[in-house]
Amino acid sequence: MTEQLTVAAGIEPKGSALDLLHIVRINEEIKAVVAVAFKINIMALNAIFLAKRAGTAALGFGVLSNELRSFSGQLRETMLSLNGLIHASVGEVSVLLLDSRYSSIFSAAAALVPASARLRSVIERREARTAEYRAKLSVLRRSLRSSVEDAFRLVELGGVLAKSAKIEAAYGASFSVSLSQVSGEFDGIVEEIRGSLDTLRKSRFFRG
Amino acid sequence: MKTTQTIFQDGDHKWVAIVRDPGRQDYLIDTNEYLVTHSGQGLLVDPGGLEIFPAVFSAVATEFDPSAIAAVFASHQDPDVISSLALWLEFNPQMRCYISWLWASFIPHFGGNASTFSAIPDEGAAISVGGLSLQAVPAHYLHSSGNFHLYDRTAKVFFSGDVGAALLPSEQQDLFVKDFSAHIRHAEGFHRRWMGSNEAKRQWCERISQLDIDILCPQHGALYQGKDVQRFIDWFDTLHVGVLRG
Repeated sequence: MTEQLTVAAGIEPKGSALDLLHIVRINEEIKAVVAVAFKINIMALNAIFLAKRAGTAALGFGVLSNELRSFSGQLRETMLSLNGLIHASVGEVSVLLLDSRYSSIFSAAAALVPASARLRSVIERREARTAEYRAKLSVLRRSLRSSVEDAFRLVELGGVLAKSAKIEAAYGASFSVSLSQVSGEFDGIVEEIRGSLDTLRKSRFFRG
Repeated sequence: MKTTQTIFQDGDHKWVAIVRDPGRQDYLIDTNEYLVTHSGQGLLVDPGGLEIFPAVFSAVATEFDPSAIAAVFASHQDPDVISSLALWLEFNPQMRCYISWLWASFIPHFGGNASTFSAIPDEGAAISVGGLSLQAVPAHYLHSSGNFHLYDRTAKVFFSGDVGAALLPSEQQDLFVKDFSAHIRHAEGFHRRWMGSNEAKRQWCERISQLDIDILCPQHGALYQGKDVQRFIDWFDTLHVGVLRG
């Protein structure tokens, strides 16, 4: 995935608006990974039946198919658990967006009425609140980053399982071709997820 | 920054028009705000949109201590009328907002909470500003379905919201209407399109003709004074409204 941002011609989003666009992209990628994780689950179920038909020659393949099915469930849960963090991040970024708009209006008013002590105190109060919002968002960024890293490590384990399944497929006697085809598909899909998560890890949202 | 012009003064009882912002962006409709003060307390009438808050705030500050503004009156729910509410409330959280009961649960989307709003019943209500009693006068369907104007019997000033509004060319900067016939051409299309009910208009004209009014203050364009007030009411009474064009 490339992190493309759709913006109106000539208008470059920045600050919280850019954060919001990055979060939207992250969320879309999470949804895609959840969908693929479900696909692995179905594929693994079919692989388990195929291994049973192949009998003793595919015992190892059967064990790995079970592990891949369990992996797909774990991956799905891990990705869904990111939803809460995404939701909270959208909330904080939205507050910051509104906060930044109001703050700029108050600053414009203060420039016109510099003598208003009450206006200055409103601006000081806003600055303190903005710092609190930013701190909260910073915690959420770190949590989200950490959860994406956990998911990435899980997918690396899934990659090892898929590659082991490819090796086990070679011992599948007359079922070897079918098993190789299935294990190749596993490997391809896990690599696809790995690529998506690697892009997520590099999201510019985490650099904010 | 907007300019302020005192249109009525008797001791500390004042009506100040906040008008004509040279720094206003062309894509924003020009608006008039009004400040009523009495005994050291202020009421801001149709405080305006979010984007013009700095201009209105600074104009108010030249005339009056903004922290002594106890309340805002919103004729109806439009963004150019009341979308700055959150900023005024942040400046003074005790400020109250008078608005039709119909909009009292919609306007909190702009700002405020349950304790902010004083919902005006359909028949109108008295609003006190530092002991001065103003009257919220029903103007429903002109143009909003929950719409009020504001009458100051003592000052003989009538705030008429969008009624009387004119979209004037930028070179016409006069505070008061100078030539009624020339002026009303800029008001006609607006009233035909924005005022939705001939029946409501008829009732409003009857009601307002019975009031003693020296100055009629719309939210957009020049103010009517003296004989132009009745001229306007007569003109409005005969105008067919609620039409797309023509």
